[in-house]
Amino acid sequence: MEINKKQDGESLVLQCAGRLDTTTAPMLEAELLPAFDESENVVLDFADLIYVSSAGLRVLLKAQKKADAINGSLVLQNISEEIKEVFDMTGFSDILTLE
Amino acid sequence: MSIIKLENLGKSFENNQILKNVNTTIKKGDVVSIIGPSGMGKSTLLRAINFLDPPTQGKVFFDGVEINKKNVNEIRRKMGMVFQNFGLFSHMTAKQNLCSAPMKLLGKSRHDAEEKAIELLKTVGLAERADFYPSQLSGGQKQRVAIARCLAMEPEVILFDEPTSALDPTMVGEVMAVIRNLSKTGLTIVIVTHEMSFARDVSDRIFYMDEGGIYEEGTPQQIFDNPQKPKTQAFIYKIRNFNFEVNSPDFDNFEMLSGIDDFCFRHAMPEPIAKKLRRIAEELVVNIVAPKFEQCSLTLSYSEKQEKYAAEVTYPGESVNAIEAADDELAVMMIKGTAKSITHSFADGVNSLVLSV
Repeated sequence: MEINKKQDGESLVLQCAGRLDTTTAPMLEAELLPAFDESENVVLDFADLIYVSSAGLRVLLKAQKKADAINGSLVLQNISEEIKEVFDMTGFSDILTLE
Repeated sequence: MSIIKLENLGKSFENNQILKNVNTTIKKGDVVSIIGPSGMGKSTLLRAINFLDPPTQGKVFFDGVEINKKNVNEIRRKMGMVFQNFGLFSHMTAKQNLCSAPMKLLGKSRHDAEEKAIELLKTVGLAERADFYPSQLSGGQKQRVAIARCLAMEPEVILFDEPTSALDPTMVGEVMAVIRNLSKTGLTIVIVTHEMSFARDVSDRIFYMDEGGIYEEGTPQQIFDNPQKPKTQAFIYKIRNFNFEVNSPDFDNFEMLSGIDDFCFRHAMPEPIAKKLRRIAEELVVNIVAPKFEQCSLTLSYSEKQEKYAAEVTYPGESVNAIEAADDELAVMMIKGTAKSITHSFADGVNSLVLSV
């Protein structure tokens, strides 16, 4: 998986490409959780993300909790149909903010 | 009545045993196709039947008579063979190829032999090429001449050893059409072939060869529509497998996942199916079975013919459905949301979970 970080106004955007699975979830965790120290508003751009497993969902859940704790926000953008399906089957569509 | 009978037939080349304990009976007028993967002794069996490569064990009977070195030439007159590479005499015309053996071995006059040769060339559609040399004929035409030459000896049985495998695909049809016609004449035919739809159409019986012998036999309907044994099923349904063994909860899951990707890619699976298989394997093995049972085995299978995809995970211990007993709710939701069906079974201390997608 590749992660690119860029500032967009008040938000910090992490563009994720590839697969978010058991082997790559730790990479996202290492980037995403500290991102809230830089900005209260973090955006995940999933336009090029092709796969997500439960290991990835756990990282997203942790990040959501962190955002809530600091009154910040975590927004997921450009989600593919297949990844949306995974969010739906696990109830994550209701927990996360999807745009 | 049986025309060919094999009793405990075996064939070894040096220390390599190709065939062992083959027993079967072929009745007069039977059309038998021998199918199976390469290297399983199909051609070896054919060559052992007519003693081109005599068996190293067991017996072959032709019309009740045991074949031996003394009577083999006489019996071969009644049991012709057609080879992959035609085996025509290159210095003789098509007609001469047909006349040579009947004149020498059956004592026919040239006139009778030629008359018969033309008649036979007509039946294979090549009368107008009677005076052509093999080099002037296409592969399909050469093979048809070879079949006519075989018929010129008025055999009771013809053995075909992959008669179309050396041919350009455009010529396969013309040769198969000739064999198809022969199959309706009451001649006994044994044919080694990779042409499955042909085997299905023309045969009374199919021998599926594997493990050094006739692994399964039956009517075309039995073998092609409802094979009973695992290797026949794998062959007929073109089942491809990927297997990965897990021996510790800290196994190399990167290796497993990249192996799955590779397997799906090699078989050009549709992207959504590949992702589902990967998801099931990842959630079930990494998050549920490996942490709890430490050892397990993952098999992904794909039936090209039936377009079926499945993942099976086996693990040792008491009978327990690992998915139902799992604490990892997220992984369970992912699995249940992805699999079309989930079946748990238990036998001999091994649990099996089969998930279809």
